[in-house]
Amino acid sequence: MAVDAPAKVRFAGDPAKTFDRRRPDGHGPRDTVRSFRTAATLGWRIEANWTDPTLFLIYSVAKPLAAALLLIVMLDVVGGAAARQLRGFVIVGSALWAFVQSGMSGLAQAVLEDRERYRMLKYLCVSPEGLVVLLLGRGAARILIGAFAAAITLVFGIAFVGVRFDPLGIDWLLLVSASAIGFVSIVALGMAMAAVCLQSRQEAWSYPEAVAGALFLLCGVVFPLAVLPQFVQAVGLAIPITWWIEAVRDAVLAGAPSSIGGPGSLWTSVTGSARPDATTLLIALLATGAVGTLASALLFRISERRAKARGLLDQTTGS
Amino acid sequence: MSIYVHRPTAGPVEAANWTQRQVIATNLRTVVGRAYPRVRALAREKSWLLFEILLPFLATSGFVFVYRALQAPAAYVGFVVVGGAMIAFWLNVIWSMAQQLWWEKSQGNLELYFAAPMHIMAVLLGMAIGGIVLSSTRALVVLVVASTLYGVTFVVDQWLLLGAVFVLTLAALYGLGMILAGVFLVWGREAWHLTQLLQEPIYFVSGLNFPIGRLGLIGGLAIALLPLAVGLDAMRQLAFVGQPYVTGTPPPEVEALILVVMTVVFFVIATWLLRTLERLARREGRLSMRWQ
Repeated sequence: MAVDAPAKVRFAGDPAKTFDRRRPDGHGPRDTVRSFRTAATLGWRIEANWTDPTLFLIYSVAKPLAAALLLIVMLDVVGGAAARQLRGFVIVGSALWAFVQSGMSGLAQAVLEDRERYRMLKYLCVSPEGLVVLLLGRGAARILIGAFAAAITLVFGIAFVGVRFDPLGIDWLLLVSASAIGFVSIVALGMAMAAVCLQSRQEAWSYPEAVAGALFLLCGVVFPLAVLPQFVQAVGLAIPITWWIEAVRDAVLAGAPSSIGGPGSLWTSVTGSARPDATTLLIALLATGAVGTLASALLFRISERRAKARGLLDQTTGS
Repeated sequence: MSIYVHRPTAGPVEAANWTQRQVIATNLRTVVGRAYPRVRALAREKSWLLFEILLPFLATSGFVFVYRALQAPAAYVGFVVVGGAMIAFWLNVIWSMAQQLWWEKSQGNLELYFAAPMHIMAVLLGMAIGGIVLSSTRALVVLVVASTLYGVTFVVDQWLLLGAVFVLTLAALYGLGMILAGVFLVWGREAWHLTQLLQEPIYFVSGLNFPIGRLGLIGGLAIALLPLAVGLDAMRQLAFVGQPYVTGTPPPEVEALILVVMTVVFFVIATWLLRTLERLARREGRLSMRWQ
C-alpha cells in the first residue's frame, strides 16, 4: 500500500516573516520570570495542597521544632552552666538549619519527582528556559516553608526557652548582608544535590538529608567547631554555611559564644583573635559562597549533560 | 520436579486450585524475589556507601560532639551511638516500607502485585528482609566505627536478652511499617509528607539521643506505642548496665514483653489491612491504579 507523502507546511506569507524565531529561543528575561513563577506556583501547590491548612501548619512546624526540642532536652539532661549558655546558640543554629535543609532538599526532590513520579523531566529539559530556572522555581516553595519553620523555631526559643531577643541590639546590616549571600550559597548547595540526584536512583530522596546531616557536624550549627579535631575544623571553614550561621548568630545574639573562634579553635590558633569580626565574616562568606556557587553550577551543567547523553532523564528506578 | 509444571485441568477454577505446597513455595519465592533487589542494591550502586554509611555516620557524630561540647559523661556518647545505629532501621521502615506500596502504585507496579497469585504479605516480608540486610550494614558501621572512635564502653550482663530485644524491635518496627504501607496507600499523595513528619518528631519522642525517662508522660506514651522508643530504651538498659541515669522506665524484661505484644498486634492489623486493601483493589480497581 502506498504511503502518502507528508503534506507540505503552508505558510500564509513569506516564511521568514511569519515564523516567530523567538518561540524556540524564548523571549529573554520575561520568559524566564514567567517560567520561574509558574514553576514556583506549581511547587507551592505540590507542597501545600495535599491537606487542609491546619495540618499543613502542623506539618511545617513539627519537624524543625522537634529537632530543636531534641537538642534542648540533650542540654537539659546534662545541665550545668555550659548547657545554659548554649541554649540561645542551639536555638538559633537549629532555626537556621531548618532553612538549610529545606533549601538543599527542594531542588533535589523536584528532580526525582519530575523524573520518577510525574515523568515530566525530559519535557522540562527541552523547554526554552531549561532545567535550572524551573528547578529553582520548584524549590522556592520549600525554601519558603523552611523560612517559616526557622521563624517559628526562633519564636519558640524566645517564648519558651528563654532566648534573649532585643530588636535594637541586632546588627541589621550584618544580618541582611549575610542572609542574602547565605541564601545564594544554600540554593547552590541545593543545585549540587539536584545534580547528584540526576545521576541517582529514586532512593536519592534521602540524600539531601544525609548531606545535611554531615554538614551539621562540620558547620558549627549546635556546638562550637573548637571541639572538633583541627583538620575537621579546616573543612568546616571552607563551607559557606559555617560563616553564614556564625554571621547570623553574631548579628542576632550579641555576646553569644562563637562557633568558629574560641579556645582550641583553628581560627584562634591561626589568627590569634577570639572570634572573626563582622567584616571578616562577610568576606569569608562571600569568598566561600562564590567558590561553592561556581562549583555547583559547573557540577549541575556536567550532570545535566551526562544525564542527557545517557538517557537518564526518563529513567524510573526502584529497589 | 518443579511444582509449576503444566497439568491439564477441566477449567480455570480447577487450575486456580493450588496445592498447599504450591502456595507456600510461591510465597517463599515471592519473599526471596522481593528481597533480592534490595540486597543486590548493596553491590550495584556504589554511591550508597557515601550516602547511606559515611554521611549518616557523620550525622551521628554531630550529636556526639554536642555532648562533648557540654562535657557530658562518656556514657551519653554511647546513647547517641546506639540511637544512631537504630535510626537506620527506622528510616528504612518509613522510606522503604511505609511508602513502598504507594510508590509501586505511582510506578504502575501495584496492579501486578495484586494480580499475581501470591499473598501481599509475602511481598512486604521480602521488602522487610531486604531492608533489614541493607540497613544492618549502616547500623553496624555506625555502631562499630563510632564505638571505636569515640571510646564507647558497653557493659552487658544479659547478651541473650539484648539479642532478643534487638530482634523483637526489628520485628515490631517492620510490622508497623507494614501497617503504614497499607495506610499510606490509602492516603496517597499525603504519604510523602507524612513520612517527613515521622522523622524528627519520632526521634524526639523516642529519646533518640537521651534517656527517654526524661520526657515523663510523653516518654511513657512513646514506650507504649512506638517500637523504636521501647526498643531503644531496653537496649540501652541492657548495654549500659549500672548507669544511674537510665531511670523512670520499665525494666528490659517488661519492655521485651511490650515488644512481643506490639509485634503480634502490628502483624495482625497489617494482615487484616492488606487483605482489605487487596479486596478493594480487585473489586473497585482504583487503589492499585496509577494516578487514582
